[in-house]
Amino acid sequence: MTAAQVTSLLTNRDLDRLARLRLNASRRFTNRARGEHLAAKGGTSTEFCDTRDYSPGDDVRYLDWNAFARINRPYLKQYHQEEELHVALLVDASSSMMFEGKFDLARKLAAAFGMLGLRGSEKVSACSLQNASPARLAPCSGRASAAKLFAFLESLEPGGEQPVEVGIETFLRQHKGRGVVVLISDFLTTGDLRRAFNLLHGAGLEPFALQILAPSELAPEVSGDFRLVDSESAATLDISSANDLLTLYHEYRTSLEQQIATLAQQRSGRALTISAAEPFERLFFETLRRKGWVA
Amino acid sequence: MSFTSLSSAWLFALIIPLVIFYFLKLKRPRQTIPSLVLWRQVMNDQRVNSPFQRFKRNLLLLLQLLLLALLVLAAMQPFLRREPQRAARLPVLVDVSASMAALDKSGGRSRLDEARQQLRERIDAMLPDQELCLIAFSKSARKLTGFTSNKTELRDAVAGLVVDDVPGELDEALHLAQALARTAPFDRVLVLTDGNLPARANFELPFQLDLQKIPAAGANIGITALNARRTTGSEWEVFVQLACTANTTATTATLELVESGKPLASEQVAIAPGTAPRLAFRLRGERPLLVCATLRTSGFDALAADNVAWLKLPAMRPLDVFVPESLATFRHALAALDGLRIFPAKDIPSPTTYDLAFVEKPEDAKLAAQVLCSVGFVPEELRALVSIEKKGTAAIDWRRESPLLQHVGLDEVLFMDDPVTTAGKDGQAFRLLGYEALADGPHGPLALTRNEGERTRVHLLFHPDRSTLPYRVAFPVLVSNLVQAAQRANGLSESAGQPTGVLRVPGFAAAANVKVTGPAPGTRTEQADESGIATGIPAPRVGEYLLTSGTHEERVGVSLLSPEETSLAAVDEVQFADRIAVSTANFAPKTDRSLWWSLAFAGFILLLVEWWWFQRRTV
Repeated sequence: MTAAQVTSLLTNRDLDRLARLRLNASRRFTNRARGEHLAAKGGTSTEFCDTRDYSPGDDVRYLDWNAFARINRPYLKQYHQEEELHVALLVDASSSMMFEGKFDLARKLAAAFGMLGLRGSEKVSACSLQNASPARLAPCSGRASAAKLFAFLESLEPGGEQPVEVGIETFLRQHKGRGVVVLISDFLTTGDLRRAFNLLHGAGLEPFALQILAPSELAPEVSGDFRLVDSESAATLDISSANDLLTLYHEYRTSLEQQIATLAQQRSGRALTISAAEPFERLFFETLRRKGWVA
Repeated sequence: MSFTSLSSAWLFALIIPLVIFYFLKLKRPRQTIPSLVLWRQVMNDQRVNSPFQRFKRNLLLLLQLLLLALLVLAAMQPFLRREPQRAARLPVLVDVSASMAALDKSGGRSRLDEARQQLRERIDAMLPDQELCLIAFSKSARKLTGFTSNKTELRDAVAGLVVDDVPGELDEALHLAQALARTAPFDRVLVLTDGNLPARANFELPFQLDLQKIPAAGANIGITALNARRTTGSEWEVFVQLACTANTTATTATLELVESGKPLASEQVAIAPGTAPRLAFRLRGERPLLVCATLRTSGFDALAADNVAWLKLPAMRPLDVFVPESLATFRHALAALDGLRIFPAKDIPSPTTYDLAFVEKPEDAKLAAQVLCSVGFVPEELRALVSIEKKGTAAIDWRRESPLLQHVGLDEVLFMDDPVTTAGKDGQAFRLLGYEALADGPHGPLALTRNEGERTRVHLLFHPDRSTLPYRVAFPVLVSNLVQAAQRANGLSESAGQPTGVLRVPGFAAAANVKVTGPAPGTRTEQADESGIATGIPAPRVGEYLLTSGTHEERVGVSLLSPEETSLAAVDEVQFADRIAVSTANFAPKTDRSLWWSLAFAGFILLLVEWWWFQRRTV
């Protein structure tokens, strides 16, 4: 990191470009605290939202006197509620993320999403998914917390064998706040991802699932006989004529991608599978922007 | 297909440890990956566990099993049975007679080269339980190898085959094979020949004989006879007999007579296919000559060995004849003949040896003479067998075909000496002493002859002076025959080229060591016998042989001179003594084909494939 750079995760140029973007959450899971995100319900902001019939007990200060003068019926003016959005960053730091730059890209993406949250005056919290006592970044807000966020992400060390769904459960035990959860993982787990997504949805978090796969996972170059060793569990699996199995492998990999996408979309979220070899700038400022993740 | 070593099939049991070790010791390269999740799903897929996929998954094992199967099959030594009668032990008689050197075309292959090729193919096709014995034969036979399956030894023996410039005869080779059968029984004998063999063989076949004929050679012209006859003057009349095959393409041939590099005569002759031109030359005989006749043809000539021949001509001289004065009738008869010096003579010292001697006293019987004729007495060694009685008798039979009695009629001749065989003795007793009766009286032999090495002894057990023989024309003819016999014994009447085979060269000291240098590399030493004759000298090559003993040397030219070999004619059938005729086959029978090397080679290729398969499996 050069002296002029704020963090080793993102270049200053990327930070400048992030300043012009906002997190584009499809559903408005917001905190009650006032923030910059407009809540779905009416609020007290200056931005007009709608009118409704007056009910006894309503604050007469919000009566639309112009309408009452024209049609002699009381209508109540409603305004957008600007509430705080909680951006939870869940970074899979298990051993499976140690391959071919998966974890580095995950940290960069987490930093970028975190910066969007901080610049949007949202609460941003972060947590690593790697073992029973994960590293956590307590919710923070404001641009001043950027350094804290970067320091947290930079300090993350990959390693651990905790499945992503278990990590999500661990995270949710201590999490408070509704908003968006940016879930960055390879999602290579034998566990029940449906339950994990349900838990996130139930906690008021809109899932932004980013599946990062290494190039060797996206397109394995294998042939002959060999013994595969799991990086997390050290379990082995003997493979013969691997090149003949690649078709099946791609079928199952695509199926996993579709499963993650389905799980996210069914919960008003988004999902995307990306390659760890893809440059961060193109991924974040082009791909995610084009897909509407950020605006 | 059959197997030579079927017992090796137990090696198939090695499949069990192979499979065990395969699964125990299969070393797969380890590859650490982020997660096994996807691969486990793949491996649990039903499609992966189909039988075909299992087969593919264990391809390495299957390759190893296939390799083992190939090696075990090779160890079982399979072979394709193509020979109707497979012989475990087979003597092969290879014809190496002169005609086997004949080429098929200009610059082509000789018949022996063809035989070598067929032999090599047979050796290569030999199965491990088969044994061959190579016997080379020409006029004689020699065993090249014993029964062996050692291919290297057999190939070396085949490479060492050389042609002997002698006619081919099958009998001795078959006798040798028969002798071999006593120690190593066999049922079949294979003969590789060009077919230039006598049509009859004096042999009773105790085994099956396969006569395999090698393809015929090309056209040939050669010298089949070279001899000389003394003319009435002091000249030699040399006759050269040529022969050519029916397919000859040559139109002319030139025959040149050379002596020590100096041409003596030359003649060109027109050649017609299948003819046998005869040429005659006259050479002066004042000095001894070793004449070399060389034939050059205008076209292709298959055989080179019969294009050169030698003829030794002694210097002509008068015969020295000893006749005592008392044998006036003989002296009178000899005086009418030319080219004789009769001793004892006035003013001429008598020589120590004579070419011809007539003696009438037993003490003169020890006279050194090439041909000695005793008259009127019984030699000492015959006194126990015959005695002469003084009474009249006549010849009852005589050998008219004998050169000594040629044109001699003894009928109506009265003899006053009657040889009487001792009681209890018969003709067998004379034969045991080496005598041959020339004429027989009623009671015993009238004339006997015996060859003593180079010398000839003729005993007339009657005195011509006491018979009517001198008054008959038979008497001078008898004397003339004796003179001719003396001339023949000294080589002064006729001479013939020495054919290849075994040499017999006189003229050395008794028991002298004779060094023989022939056309083939190397020399050998023989010992002359008591008569000074070097005998039993093998001369299988055409060319000049130099025999030296001290300062004495004899030069002998040896020639093929065989009309049969020159004709290159091939018999279609050989008749044996037991009236069995064996036909010659023009094609080589198919031999059993061993497959073990093919299987071993396939195993090697498979090993390479497996090695490649093992090495290429990189993730």
